[in-house]
Amino acid sequence: MKNTKILLIGLFVLGALLLASCGAPLSGSSWPGVSSNGDTVYVAYMQHVYAVRAADGSMIWRFPEKAGRQMFFAAPVLADDQLLVGDYENVLHSLDPNNGVEKWIFTQAQADWIASPLVVGDVILAPNADHFLYALSQNGTLLWKFETGRALWSQPVSDGEVVYQASMDHNVYAINLRTGQKIWSLDVGGAVIYSPTLDTEEGTLFLTTLARNLMAVNTQDGSIRWQRKFESGLWTQPALHDGRLYMGDLQGTVYAISAKDGAELWTQKVDQPVTGKATVLDNSVIFPTEDGSLIALTLEGERLWSRTFEGKLYTGPVAIGDRLAVGIAGGKEFLKMVSLDGQDLWTFVPPK
Amino acid sequence: MWDALIITPFINTLLFIYNIVGQNFGIAIILFTLLIRLITHPLMVKQIKGAQAMQELQKNEKWIKIQEKYKGDREKLAQEQMALYKELGINPFASCLPTLIQLPIIFGLYQAIISALASTPLDLLRLIRHIYPGLLQVESLIPLNSRFLWMDLGQPERLFIPGLSFGIPVLVVVVVITTYVQGKLIATPSANPKDQTAAMSNMMNLYMPIFMGYLAYTLASGLALYFVASNLIGILQYAMLGKVNWGNVFPFLNKQPAAASSSGKKSYSK
Repeated sequence: MKNTKILLIGLFVLGALLLASCGAPLSGSSWPGVSSNGDTVYVAYMQHVYAVRAADGSMIWRFPEKAGRQMFFAAPVLADDQLLVGDYENVLHSLDPNNGVEKWIFTQAQADWIASPLVVGDVILAPNADHFLYALSQNGTLLWKFETGRALWSQPVSDGEVVYQASMDHNVYAINLRTGQKIWSLDVGGAVIYSPTLDTEEGTLFLTTLARNLMAVNTQDGSIRWQRKFESGLWTQPALHDGRLYMGDLQGTVYAISAKDGAELWTQKVDQPVTGKATVLDNSVIFPTEDGSLIALTLEGERLWSRTFEGKLYTGPVAIGDRLAVGIAGGKEFLKMVSLDGQDLWTFVPPK
Repeated sequence: MWDALIITPFINTLLFIYNIVGQNFGIAIILFTLLIRLITHPLMVKQIKGAQAMQELQKNEKWIKIQEKYKGDREKLAQEQMALYKELGINPFASCLPTLIQLPIIFGLYQAIISALASTPLDLLRLIRHIYPGLLQVESLIPLNSRFLWMDLGQPERLFIPGLSFGIPVLVVVVVITTYVQGKLIATPSANPKDQTAAMSNMMNLYMPIFMGYLAYTLASGLALYFVASNLIGILQYAMLGKVNWGNVFPFLNKQPAAASSSGKKSYSK
């Protein structure tokens, strides 16, 4: 009878672990968030935020030193003397970028920090999955908060006076940076996953929606300048360069589109779902694909090179001078530095 | 294979229901659970009958004699038991086989609910790929309305009452109670104090509510809602089959046990 009891308890514990693991955030919950100041690469992935030397991939510090319940995926944002990063335990952290020591935390949000914050002057704009965009002072004091209908998964953009926040509630909001008051909102017909791209010169906001639309929105009044429907789903942010938008779709076609009127300039098949924002360099554009490939094309769509990593890519590489930092999801390694032609420079291996 | 046969059809059915009930995910979970329980009802009936036959076998004279005679020889005991099963036309797997068939369906249901609640971008990307475009429109469907009563079905449930600095896990309490009540209601009292099956069943009745309560406390409340719906529907199913022992939960009913228990036995012996 004693054995039966132990067996039963063991089965319950096993069952609890199995079922709990299905509901908890796993490595597959999101992709590494990568940012850099040139000398240091910051990467948020799983239970740590890492500061890594851009020169050789050695670790400077990690936060927290001992892994806990917190999970970090949103790219850390460097603003003067602090590094801002949110976790999946509802806490926004301000860290000292030199040593990873925590300066302050903001705990008033009720859900995950899926998107990175944006710093505009002395205001930190932090979107949370609890539907609110929080505006904080540099020391983490709440200035105002703005409520939308659903979760916020994308980083806002700003021209210095107005904040543009896309929401999963199918709307884009223009909000006064100082007061947090709504200026206008626009129903774009589908949820917005990735951040909009702002052209401050033309006053246009470009965004993709789950309704397979690419839209150009007038930032003055929220009117639609043009929109373009795609056959396949879009899981990307359009990359703006020299009056062109570069992006790909989930069926593996990449496009160059005129930012002025949405006209297609060229397309190219890459045969893998394009997931994430392309990285545009002086003479090339690099697309990340879900099978873990970086595909480099000329700005006219001719193939230059490609290389495949073990894992998946959901965001474009971060250009650091003549190198590219690549965040890889679900692979053995999650941060690699490659040259502009895709050759390995170093791989980050976190110390045990 | 698992995705194509179980998860994807389950997700689409769940979301289809969600769409036709005015995009209320809580109602969709309840109706979907009801649908799955109705589909698996014949298996449940077989399982009950199999369990009943095994229980009655415990009282069989031949069975008792065999247990006594070969208690020191496990191999011989097993052989004799098998022979008796054959003689009485009992399939010893009749109660566990339907359970085994139901298990993948229950796991599928669980995974479908988890998938549909997609709370991160990657979860959402996976969900979108499960959706049949001919049946459902992603743009109008996403994001799902995960609000139900006071709950966000994608988060563990807590009821916050003004004046209290902490949230009360109401649904956890309901899960624990309904699991306990269900276990008690369907348990058949055993006359034999050495009956190991009954002892194990008693232990299950004790541990299961704690286990389910722990899951409900830590996982998304959509799953806790599913546990509650499943328990209540289960009780209803057993009640309709006349297999509920109300006296186990309300002991005062045991004063007239003859009528209650005999009606149940009659339906089994048919």
